[in-house]
Amino acid sequence: MVAAVKATGVDGPLFKRALLGSLNWLASNHEEVNRLNVFPVPDGDTGTNMLLTLQSAVEDVKQSNAAEVSKIAKLASHGSLMGARGNSGVILSQIFRGFARAVEGKSSLTPAELAAAFEEAANAAYRAVNKPTEGTILTVAREAGRAAATAASGPDANVPRVIAAAAAGARAAVLKTPSQLQILRDAGVVDAGGFGLQLILEGMLKSVEETEPSLAALVDTNRSISPASQVSMTLPEGGWGYCTEFLIEGANLDLDVIRGEIEAMGNSVLVVGEPELVKVHVHTDDPTSVINLAGRYGKLMKLNVGDMSTQHRRILETEGGGTGTGPPRPNGVGIAAVAAGRGLVDIFRGLGVDAIIEGGQTMNPSTQDMLTAIESVPYDEVILLPNNGNVIAAAKQVIGLTKKKVHVVDTRSVPQGVSAVVAFRPERPASENLSAMKAEAERVQTIEVTHAVRDTRSNGLRVKKGDVIGLINDRLEFAGDDYAEVVNKALGKLGPASYELVTVYRGEQASDDELAKLESEIRSSYPSLEVEVQQGGQQHYPFILSVE
Amino acid sequence: MTRSFAVVTDSTADLPDEWRDRYDIEVVPLKVIFGKETFRDRVDMTDEEFFRRLAASNTLPTTSAPSPGEFAEVYRRLAKDHDGCISIHIGAKLSATAEAARIGAAAVEGFNVNVIDSQTVSMPIAFLCRIAAESETLQQAIAAVEQRVPKCRVLALLDSLRYLEMGGRLSRAGAMIGTMLDLKPLLLVAEEAQIKPVDRVRTRSRAIPRMIEFFRSEQPVEYVAVMHAQAKDDAERIAADLRHELPDHAIPLGQIGCVLGTHAGPRALGIVYIKK
Repeated sequence: MVAAVKATGVDGPLFKRALLGSLNWLASNHEEVNRLNVFPVPDGDTGTNMLLTLQSAVEDVKQSNAAEVSKIAKLASHGSLMGARGNSGVILSQIFRGFARAVEGKSSLTPAELAAAFEEAANAAYRAVNKPTEGTILTVAREAGRAAATAASGPDANVPRVIAAAAAGARAAVLKTPSQLQILRDAGVVDAGGFGLQLILEGMLKSVEETEPSLAALVDTNRSISPASQVSMTLPEGGWGYCTEFLIEGANLDLDVIRGEIEAMGNSVLVVGEPELVKVHVHTDDPTSVINLAGRYGKLMKLNVGDMSTQHRRILETEGGGTGTGPPRPNGVGIAAVAAGRGLVDIFRGLGVDAIIEGGQTMNPSTQDMLTAIESVPYDEVILLPNNGNVIAAAKQVIGLTKKKVHVVDTRSVPQGVSAVVAFRPERPASENLSAMKAEAERVQTIEVTHAVRDTRSNGLRVKKGDVIGLINDRLEFAGDDYAEVVNKALGKLGPASYELVTVYRGEQASDDELAKLESEIRSSYPSLEVEVQQGGQQHYPFILSVE
Repeated sequence: MTRSFAVVTDSTADLPDEWRDRYDIEVVPLKVIFGKETFRDRVDMTDEEFFRRLAASNTLPTTSAPSPGEFAEVYRRLAKDHDGCISIHIGAKLSATAEAARIGAAAVEGFNVNVIDSQTVSMPIAFLCRIAAESETLQQAIAAVEQRVPKCRVLALLDSLRYLEMGGRLSRAGAMIGTMLDLKPLLLVAEEAQIKPVDRVRTRSRAIPRMIEFFRSEQPVEYVAVMHAQAKDDAERIAADLRHELPDHAIPLGQIGCVLGTHAGPRALGIVYIKK
């Protein structure tokens, strides 16, 4: 039976090859996906986010020689969950999760089982989203599943045909997305996330059709696009130690036992995987003992030990040293926040944030980045502030991945994040803090000023690449060629009479003259507003303003 | 009104002139030093002038306690027509004034000086002085004041952290008030002169209701006053609100003097009270 199924079915090695193929194809084309971003802002690009998520999904798969498709699918599901970045990355991780559940316990899939797994993957993604929107990656996943099911029920169904049908179904669905979503129609593009999924299915098809996939080339491709996001954090006293990572390959590995032993030897412990393959991540002062211990369970692979104190010193030097944390908090609640830019990092630390996850506007941090930061916080209950609309979904994934109690306050911008932290009181229980922080975040208005990264039409505005654009609460409202002019219009639209204070977070690109001009124009146009300037140091956004 | 004992305080009590005259309370000034110039608090410089200079100055003035000799001089003078004295001062954790008073008193032989560490600042001390002045005997005055010392509170809303920070009177980290953003901290000077952060707010108009809300949670109170540093309009509005809620209280308005003003900064507001 096994031999017969193997000839036409999807087993572990085949699915592994398919995943590597999809990674290769997405890596070559992700810039195409990036160009489809509807918003002309330098945001975390969909293509990059999906690629990094997929890369993480495939990372452990590459090391596995599992014969069963279920094991490969489970590794991919784990990996994508940990590496999920941006909304599209999170949905992709849910697609992998649904697929892995559907093939659980199976060593090989018939064409019909493969199609059913594609359909279940789409269903899982729909379930994971609060308000599913048609015309997005969700629609594309569903249509791909349907097309696969139709092909699987045909008389001469085989695996390549099912995958080909899924890819074709995805392509057709992608082309239809502008008719389903007004913003895509206005911008004259198809949905980026959906297109990314199409590429993934096409990549699978290519690898299945090819007889000799060149795996070596794949490895090189993704070396050049390794994530740049860096986690800076506060560890308890007792040294920074070494960030130690490896895989254990063995038999009947007990994750809980291994986790327990590793936890005794360091912090930020992560032990995930299967009874045959376990991924371990730990910050320890004694990597040798950890390695010796782990070596008793099986063969160690992909061992990587990094000296974190070197990194820590560098961070301290560049950040001017010191942390903003004070005495232990009576409520036992820590805070982690996503921030990019030296000044913003200092501001959040100064307000009592325990761990900063670097990222935000252009490089969306992964679920793993946020998890690592949360594990570094010296409290068992942690409030996480994503500070960017495109990070919220990945932040929420962290909730189920740690023993710590994690709460996410849906902060969509730097000003919202700052307002939320300001409302935090160390003597108040988490629940009260959460409602106060949420209310404060919602009260503040955000104006973001940047340059359009592409020509587009959005919200009735025609924008040329390079134009200065002003967004109010994530919505493109004004375009022009001068920062001060755009900010003035945005403040006028908010209605300065109802506000008191404008905080200007100056980005890396803004010159002294531009700052002086902006300040004096705000003061002369709106004399009743108090203006406070902070050095944010953020990239790509010359000015972010908080209005309250 | 004839009273056999004297009542002494220092200029940080923010004692209204009218009370000083009516109750015959002796006020020993602390000093404010701008560069090479030294001014006696509320004697050589008016509050208006002080805050004008504070705003214009790039460096903060420093403050200093009266010397033991200055206290001794006052006690010696009072010894002539009083048979004892209660001397109520700014919290010893915040200033060396009470210590200087103690040393000064020891230098004056044959005069019974009772130095009280009020463990607080500003007008709660003025209330304590008035309570002492209205007592029949020195013993009753001491008992009445000592019983109320742990109940004095100063709820202060600062307009900027700059002054408190430069004066070194508060750990910013402990108060979680940040190092970068100009937050409006709401602070409570509680028993034993402990400064506790109550809240931190970004804008003044939202901070004032928070201050009133916190004060509401502190009821019942025996005495209450509203203090300000060059922010009379805000203080009057707060006092009007409080009078509406507490019709049985007089709720006087007080001005924050130069020494406290150096640490609190211009536009600071306070609700000061003694809990029941």
